[in-house]
Amino acid sequence: MNKKTFMTMRKPAWDEFSELLAKRSKTRRHPLSGPEVQQFSTLYRELCNDLSMVRSRKLGEDLEAYLNALVSEGHNSFYESPAVKLSEFWNFVFVDYPRTFRRHWRYFLMAVLLFFGPFFCSWVTIQINPSLAERVLSADQLEQASVMYSAESIEERRSADIVAYGQERTGMFGFYIFNNVGIALRTFAGGVLFGIVTVYTLLSNGIVLGTISGFLLSEGHGDRFLSFIISHGSFELTAIAIAGGAGLMLGHAMIHPGQQTRLQSLKTRGVDALKIALGAAVMLVVAAFLEAFWSPANIPNQFKYIMGSSLWLIVVFYLMFSGRR
Amino acid sequence: MSGVLTESAEQTRSESQSTDNPFRNQPLSLDYAIETPETVVLHYQLAGPAVRMRAFLIDLLIRSAVTLILGLLMMVLGVFIPDVAAGLFLIWMFVNGWGYYAIFEGLWRGTTPGKRVMGLRVIHENGHPINLWMAINRNFIRAVDSTPLYLPGLIAMFCSRRFQRLGDLTAGTIVITERRVQLPREPIILEKIDPIPLAQLNKYKPDEQTLAVIGDFLSRRVAVDYKRGHELSRPLAHELARKFQFRGDPELVRKFPMAFIARVYVTFLRPENYQEHPEHEPPTEHDSESEYEPVPEENILDDDFDESEAYHE
Repeated sequence: MNKKTFMTMRKPAWDEFSELLAKRSKTRRHPLSGPEVQQFSTLYRELCNDLSMVRSRKLGEDLEAYLNALVSEGHNSFYESPAVKLSEFWNFVFVDYPRTFRRHWRYFLMAVLLFFGPFFCSWVTIQINPSLAERVLSADQLEQASVMYSAESIEERRSADIVAYGQERTGMFGFYIFNNVGIALRTFAGGVLFGIVTVYTLLSNGIVLGTISGFLLSEGHGDRFLSFIISHGSFELTAIAIAGGAGLMLGHAMIHPGQQTRLQSLKTRGVDALKIALGAAVMLVVAAFLEAFWSPANIPNQFKYIMGSSLWLIVVFYLMFSGRR
Repeated sequence: MSGVLTESAEQTRSESQSTDNPFRNQPLSLDYAIETPETVVLHYQLAGPAVRMRAFLIDLLIRSAVTLILGLLMMVLGVFIPDVAAGLFLIWMFVNGWGYYAIFEGLWRGTTPGKRVMGLRVIHENGHPINLWMAINRNFIRAVDSTPLYLPGLIAMFCSRRFQRLGDLTAGTIVITERRVQLPREPIILEKIDPIPLAQLNKYKPDEQTLAVIGDFLSRRVAVDYKRGHELSRPLAHELARKFQFRGDPELVRKFPMAFIARVYVTFLRPENYQEHPEHEPPTEHDSESEYEPVPEENILDDDFDESEAYHE
C-alpha cells in the first residue's frame, strides 16, 4: 500500500473525525450523543494508529503534520478536564477551602507572626512614644490620617447629602478592591522569589498599620478609629495574613524542595497555595464591601463593636471548624 | 473543583518521579513531544518570546482601548455621580489587571484575543487543555513575571527548555503555536503528467518512502524556482534512472530531473500503471552507471525552463 492508496482508503475516517471535532467544539454545552462518543473514541484510536504508521513508514511530512494536528485536537477534547460546576462552589467554600487552609496552617501561623508581630509592636511603641511615628510615615501622612478620624470630619461627612455620601462610598469600594486585593495577590505571587517579597510586604504593612493605629490612639481618636476598623478588619487583616501564608508556601517550596526539584515542588505545592490565596482575595472583596458601606455607617459604636466581634468570631470559626468531619 | 485540583496535583507528583526536567541540557528546539496514553507521540510547536510578545501587545491594545472607552464613559457619568464613576472605573482596572488573562484563558480554551490572532494556545505540559485553575495560576504569577518590564519572565523563558515564564512553570503550562489542519493534497500538476511507459523501465520498484519524499518535494515545489528545483532533484533522478536502467530519452533525466522524478511518482502512485509489468532482463550494475554521470552544474543553470516545458516532456 503506498501513500496514495492509504490516503484514499483512510480519508473518509479522517473527515468523519474532523466533523465530530468541529461538532464538539461548536456545541460545548450539548455533548455528543452516546453513539457519537463511541464513534469518536473508535476513530480516535484508529487515527493514532494511522499516525504511528505514517511515521514509521515515513509516508511524508505533510501527511504526518496533518494527522498530528488532528490527533492532538482529538487528544485535547478526549482528555479535557470537566468544566468547573457552580454546584461545587458551595462545597468548595464550606468544606474544601477551610480544609485546605488547615492542612497548611503552619504557613498561616508564620504569616500571622510576620504581620501581627510588627503590627502590635509598632502600635504599642508608638502609642507610648508618638514622636517615633514620624520615623515611619511622613508628617503629612500622619496629619491626613489624624484629620480623617477627627470628630469634625466624620460629622461633616455624615451630615453631607445622603446621595453624595453613598456615591463616595461606592467610589471607595472600587478603590479598596483595586488596592487591597492587588496587594494581597502581589504578596502571594511574590512568594515565588524565595518568599522575599512576601516577607517584606507582611513586615512593612504590619509596621505601617501598627504605626497609624498607635498614632491615632495617642491623638485621642481611639473610639472612632477602632469602631471603624473592627468590622472589616476581621476579613481584611486575616486575608492579608492568609495571602502571606500562601506566599510563604511558595517561598518554602523554592527554598526547601525536599526530594523534588525546585520546579516540581513549586508546582505540587503551588496548587494548594493558589487555592488559599484565591480565598484570601474573596475575603478581601467582602472586607471592601464592609469597609465601604458598613464601617463608616452612622450607627452607635456599641453596635459596631458587637458586629465587629461577631465577624471576627465568624472568621475564626469558619477557618477553624468549617468542613470538619 | 477539588477533584480537578487533586488530579492535577497527582499529575505533577507522578511527573516528579520521572526524569523530566525542563532545564535539562538539550539542544534548543521548538519541537515538543508528548506521549499519549495511546502510546502515540504527538508533536507540538512551542511559541517563542517574540511571537508571544506580539500577542501580548495585541492584548494590551485591546485592554487599553476598552479602558479608554470606559474611561471616557465614566468621565461623562462622572459629571453626575463622580464617585460612583471612579469606583466603577477602579473595579474595571482591577479586572483588567488581574482578570483579563485568567478569564480569557480559563474559559476560552487557553487563548486570548491576542493569542488567537497570533495562533497561540496555552496547554498543559501533558497536552491537555488548561482549566480555569491553571489559567488563574499562571496569570497571578504574571505579576512577578512582568515586574519590571517582563524581565523575570523573559529570563525564565530563556532558562527553561520550553520557553516557560515563571507562571508557566508554576502552573505546568506551555504556549504552543497551532498549525493549520489541512489534508495534504496532491500537486495539481500531477494530473497533467504522463506516467513513464513501462517498456522503458526494468522491474525495479521504488519503495514507498522514496515516493513519499518525491511527493513532499513536489507539493512544496513552489518554494524554489525551476532551476533550483531541477538542481535539487538531480541526484535522486540520476539514482532512479540508474536503478531503472531507464531506456527513455536520456535528455529527460539530464535536463529535467524534476520532471523525471514527477513522472516516476505518477507511474508508481497509481497501481494500474505498473501492475501489468512486462518481462525485462534483470538489471546489470555497471552499464547504466556510465550512462548517467552527474551533469556539470553550469549546464543545468544555463538552461532556461518554463513550467510547460518541464512538465510536458
